[in-house]
Amino acid sequence: MVHANQVTSTPARRSSTSNRSRKTGRAMSRTAALTFVLPAAVLFGVFTLYPMLAAFGYSFFSWNGTARGDFALLSNYVDLFTKAPYIEQLPRAFGHNILLFVGAIVGQNTIGLGLAYLLHRLKTGRQLFQTLYTMPYLVSAVVVGYLWTLLLSPTFGPLNSFFAAIGLEDLSRPWLGDPSTALWVVILVAGWQWVGFPILLYGAALGGIPAELDEAASIDGATARQSFFAITLPLLVPAITTVSVLAFIYSMEAFALPYSFGGSTGSPAGSTDVLSLMFYRVAFDSGSSNGIGMSSAIATLMFIFIFGIAMLATVVMRRRENRIK
Amino acid sequence: MKKVILATAMIAVSGLLAGCAPSGPTDGTDDVTINLWSWRTEDVEKYNSIFDVYEEANPGVTIEFQAYKSTEWAQILTTGLTGSNGPDVVMVQAYGRIQPFIEGGNLVQLDGKIDALDEFDPKALAGSTARDGSDVYGVPFASQILTMFYNKTIFADLGLEEPTTWEEFIDANETVLASGMTPLAVGGRDAWTLPMLHDNVAASTYGGSDFREGILDGSKTFEDPAYIAGIEALSNLEKYMPKDVVGVAYTEAQTLFIAEQAAMFPGGSFEQSFFETQNPDLDLGVFSIPAAPGAVSDETLTVGYADGSFAINAASDKQEAALDLVSWIATAEFGQLFADTVKQPSSVPGVKYNDPILKELTDAYAANGAPYLLLSDFRWETPSGTDIMNVELQNLLLGTTNASEVASKLQEGISTWFTPTK
Repeated sequence: MVHANQVTSTPARRSSTSNRSRKTGRAMSRTAALTFVLPAAVLFGVFTLYPMLAAFGYSFFSWNGTARGDFALLSNYVDLFTKAPYIEQLPRAFGHNILLFVGAIVGQNTIGLGLAYLLHRLKTGRQLFQTLYTMPYLVSAVVVGYLWTLLLSPTFGPLNSFFAAIGLEDLSRPWLGDPSTALWVVILVAGWQWVGFPILLYGAALGGIPAELDEAASIDGATARQSFFAITLPLLVPAITTVSVLAFIYSMEAFALPYSFGGSTGSPAGSTDVLSLMFYRVAFDSGSSNGIGMSSAIATLMFIFIFGIAMLATVVMRRRENRIK
Repeated sequence: MKKVILATAMIAVSGLLAGCAPSGPTDGTDDVTINLWSWRTEDVEKYNSIFDVYEEANPGVTIEFQAYKSTEWAQILTTGLTGSNGPDVVMVQAYGRIQPFIEGGNLVQLDGKIDALDEFDPKALAGSTARDGSDVYGVPFASQILTMFYNKTIFADLGLEEPTTWEEFIDANETVLASGMTPLAVGGRDAWTLPMLHDNVAASTYGGSDFREGILDGSKTFEDPAYIAGIEALSNLEKYMPKDVVGVAYTEAQTLFIAEQAAMFPGGSFEQSFFETQNPDLDLGVFSIPAAPGAVSDETLTVGYADGSFAINAASDKQEAALDLVSWIATAEFGQLFADTVKQPSSVPGVKYNDPILKELTDAYAANGAPYLLLSDFRWETPSGTDIMNVELQNLLLGTTNASEVASKLQEGISTWFTPTK
């Protein structure tokens, strides 16, 4: 929903701004407009806005189990940055989220974009491949994680047996049991699962670029390479913004995939720990009586960071897009 | 024509609705429905059959047993107990898991209301007692006992017997290893299994309840030589576990044992019925792990812990009926039904076990019981004892740390919030 909206928003906005003042009143009355917006607004308020504001409020109190205790101002936040184990776990988890994001943005904007471009030029079988590439994206991350743990298992997993069968025993290792490989497995599998999403999005954006531009360029003697970098890529910037911002949001709040690989502790030895897992542990696994206060503080910080960066990135990129136009 | 179809459909639907509607109270006004929430989705039928007995003895009482997915249980229970429309009676997990609800005033205090609780083993009651040791808030229903399961057929084929000393235990491992099989089915990727494995292996070595008293009164720390010896013992067993054990999942370890590719499985009484249903031909035996070198005594201990209890929601408007039900949980009738149906050690005193393994486990625990120390006493604050050991024991098995460093980390982490009583 968000993506389609963002991809097309610029032209749509341009056409509507000039007419808005005259046309809106006639097209739809204020009451009618509100009636259409209301159901979505109510659902958003009850299921998104209220819990978010509540968690924000909770984070300023110290809790005795499920009962709210004294107002604690920022002490939960201070604890997050000064007290063990948070002081060790928070930077580590945050670093893993950043690595996930870097992996995602690099993979989606190179492999994802490349595949989308190739598929766009493909005359036959385009839809077949689009569907195939998108399939993992349609499967729940928990299922994806579980299947990959089976494939990579050191006891029964086929991957290590495969390496052994082709004489490459040296390559076989406990992929998810070794702290130096486990996070890379999560990053690669996340990339594999998500590659269908940029393919769809870039595919749609490529379809929106008029063929005349390419034709004109080739008449002027531009090579395919030149016209890709001079014409196609600049016109894809809005889509790249969308893909990157969404990759950022999903990477920062990743939960299901890391959880299905490493459980709530980020096995092995915390090497796949991410912020959401840390939140989950503090909220539901710790047995600490101030679990609600501390976990709300983590959730609030996550929200502020994700929301802030996503907004900033959108604004900056949008400005650049406008400059290109 | 369309109208006729529509009308028929509507009549059919209204008929269905009428069929669904409750038929109303049959007599009197004392009919009561108790909503009971649990996390044991796998045991719904078993619990229903147990509560059928109660419903039969108490006409007019209906028990709605509702089980929720264990991964979402924590959230659901918090919502249920703090909001309206929650359960009347809940099954709650023990120790640090029940404490937030006790502190929050969500559960009814049961001291003096259920006489039968006086007969319970204090170790079992500890799981549903407030952290300050004052009051009891739940009737414990199950204790879990840690043990070493072994495959009797494999042992017989290799000429092995149940080990009674550490040397015999190591010899048994060596013999199995030499035969090409995995001696110990352990899944180290699921970190939560490791603190449990540690106490299973090390309790006899560090001295169970005596050590606990020393830790609580401050005369001992986790850096005690006997405690380090226990961690060392676990580390020495690594060569008998599957290769790259930190990459092996708990379910894979279970599979190795069920498929008779591994001779032993260190686990808890909660595994038994799963093993038996998965492979009915599996000839199961159990033994407690003997004390390793460096132990405080050569006595073999058996670790057990309170699993959960039945508690009453303080916000329920059916307090009387709820108390009646929870009082029944404390009777030998429920305990016996629970042991026979759910096939786990009951916390109710005086239960007779027909199952030989269950009997052996409960006898061993009654004779020489030890606490699951990190669960029973060190799960009150962050970082909890199990949180620290989840990570440090994986490091130990990965070879990136050693036994005394693990002990130091544990002591250091616990010290941030725990002060001994002395």
